[in-house]
Amino acid sequence: MPQCSRVVPGLLPEAGVSSRPPGRHLKLAVPALLTLVLLPGQVPTQGADAQSGHPLGLPAVVAPKDNPQTPAKIALGKQLYFDRRLSADNTVSCADCHNPAKGFSNGEQFATGIKGQKGGRNSPTVLNAAYQTFQFWDGRAGTLEQQALGPIANPIEMGLPLPEMEKRLNAIAGYKTQFQQVFGVAEIRASEVAKAIASYERTVLSGNSPYDRFQQGEVEALSEQAREGMKLFFGKANCAACHAGPNFTDNAFHNIGIGMDKPEPDVGREAISQLEGDRGSFKTPTVRDVARSAPYMHDGSLKTLAEVVEHYDKGGHANPWLDEELFPLKLTAAEKAALVKFLDEGLTSPATQDHAPPKLP
Amino acid sequence: MRRLVPSAGALLLTGLSTVSAFAQVKAVPVLEGLDNPSGVAIHAKTGHLFVATHPAVLRVAPTTPAKSFVEVDAFKTDVYGKGPKYDIGPLGVALLGDEHLIVGDGSLADAAELVRVFKIGANPPAQPTAADNAAFKLGPIGPGEASAKGEGNFYAIAVGPKAFYITANGDDTKGWVLKADIVDGKPGKLVPFIATKPLVNVDAPVGITMSPDGKQLVVGQMGEVNMAGDSQLSFYDPETGKLIKNHATGLNDIAGLAYSPKTGKLYAVDYSWVDTKNGGLFRLDVTDSGVKAEKIVSLDKPTAMAFDKEGNLYITEFGTAAEGSKTAPGRLVKIAAGL
Repeated sequence: MPQCSRVVPGLLPEAGVSSRPPGRHLKLAVPALLTLVLLPGQVPTQGADAQSGHPLGLPAVVAPKDNPQTPAKIALGKQLYFDRRLSADNTVSCADCHNPAKGFSNGEQFATGIKGQKGGRNSPTVLNAAYQTFQFWDGRAGTLEQQALGPIANPIEMGLPLPEMEKRLNAIAGYKTQFQQVFGVAEIRASEVAKAIASYERTVLSGNSPYDRFQQGEVEALSEQAREGMKLFFGKANCAACHAGPNFTDNAFHNIGIGMDKPEPDVGREAISQLEGDRGSFKTPTVRDVARSAPYMHDGSLKTLAEVVEHYDKGGHANPWLDEELFPLKLTAAEKAALVKFLDEGLTSPATQDHAPPKLP
Repeated sequence: MRRLVPSAGALLLTGLSTVSAFAQVKAVPVLEGLDNPSGVAIHAKTGHLFVATHPAVLRVAPTTPAKSFVEVDAFKTDVYGKGPKYDIGPLGVALLGDEHLIVGDGSLADAAELVRVFKIGANPPAQPTAADNAAFKLGPIGPGEASAKGEGNFYAIAVGPKAFYITANGDDTKGWVLKADIVDGKPGKLVPFIATKPLVNVDAPVGITMSPDGKQLVVGQMGEVNMAGDSQLSFYDPETGKLIKNHATGLNDIAGLAYSPKTGKLYAVDYSWVDTKNGGLFRLDVTDSGVKAEKIVSLDKPTAMAFDKEGNLYITEFGTAAEGSKTAPGRLVKIAAGL
């Protein structure tokens, strides 16, 4: 067994920094590609489910009973998400590592925390984290609320002890007023900060892609090459063995061989589960909007979708804990190109909402 | 060369038992020292139990004490899991009428495995039947359009009047339930029948049974072994394969399903890979809106279950070896009629 210490949820460096969530990364570069969950009285976004308001192809987002979504709370959470004052030296916000303009990741292999520090994992996208049953690449948090404070307190990410964070926020009159209005509390506490940030993150959704419209009968939504790629995705290329369901993830952990050729590989999920069978396993990320979130894999080691497809085509990197779903696929060059086309064209959402930084109190 | 099962002949009916939250429900050992038992079926006429273990299929006479015999042997060995790892061979068993035993294989690589049907008698054979000497060999299902890498790990079997159905775990993009028609009491070709994964979005159909009226094929979708609470219960039309309804159960890893012949209630065993201490027998109360799972008794890595016609329930457990022990920890346990 490797020497792994048990991890305290939220206190391990995720990708090297971060802002938020672990387990999600986004990357991309279009100013906005997400749609917001609609609240009562709001008008559905184009492409959204007319009844529930959530984007086409996605189920309704379920918020915890003790943290229902409200417009004011979402707005507060968005401010906190973009506020660099939540880092020790006022240089890093959640949005710096999970940047809406970069697909809610940051486009780098490893994000940069305070004092230029870098971790060893790629910033996971926040997109559709609302649907995940685990947060962080190793799943050490179960909810967005549990995850939200980890990067803030993490010494190599935002590096701000939670008592100090509370002190800072309580000194900002605008925040005090908003927390009073949203939560009915006289003093700002970390628990409500987590709830507000989580509420905002539950609005960061990626759906209504050409694939979703194709599934609704709009045949022209996908090009012929993308349709071929879709067939491969759900068949010969075996992608759907793990990237399944509305969010294209099984929410489970798999060893696909990435990084296992290093002298001291990242053990991933094993550090949490303490099961040898989880060695080198990491959470299956969504592939919605994946074209916007390069580089790829938990260590950001693959720069393009073409490299990703090549990795899977060869059956991953052999190691004793390699997932059984990895095996040589024997894809032709045309099939590889079609698969990349589907991932890019087929699963990229339209830019329907602006997640630009809000005005801060 | 035929191999004897380590515990063949070893049997027991001891006073040891596992006590559930329902104090009256006790799982009493019938046979111990089994090597990764994963399937159990009961012969309607003789009451003999057939138990799939890693090296062989046993026949067990449920006397006191129980007596066991090797019915089929000479299976190869495959390994399941990445840590913990388990040696596996034949996985699922079911009776096809009174004269044939269906055995699903897990002893080979995907795309090479077979479903075998053996001719059986009313009494144990003088010599075990070798795995290769099956009366019928169905499959393999190799790589192709239906299954990218081919099918394997044929786990549990449900026998209907017109066909039998077997769960498979080769291609996780499909999650096939396979079917073989029954014509004149003999099995037809093994074919992919229901691609469960695209319908319910989680992996691994494992447990399977027929509803008491024969109108529904009931499948326990195990889900990911490293995910808690993702097991689902699905009901299909056995004629068309159409999904009738699907429900979350909150269970971790449904491995076996069976209806009580006395009460008509549905039960499941949950292996619970992520936390085996939570494994056990559960009653599943199914409504149109969902499933309520109520734990009846804790069990140690339960893998399969079958009721006899009197309503006694037999369950196989992988069990947990004691530190330093070289004795296989698997067991066949019995819960007396009443469920």
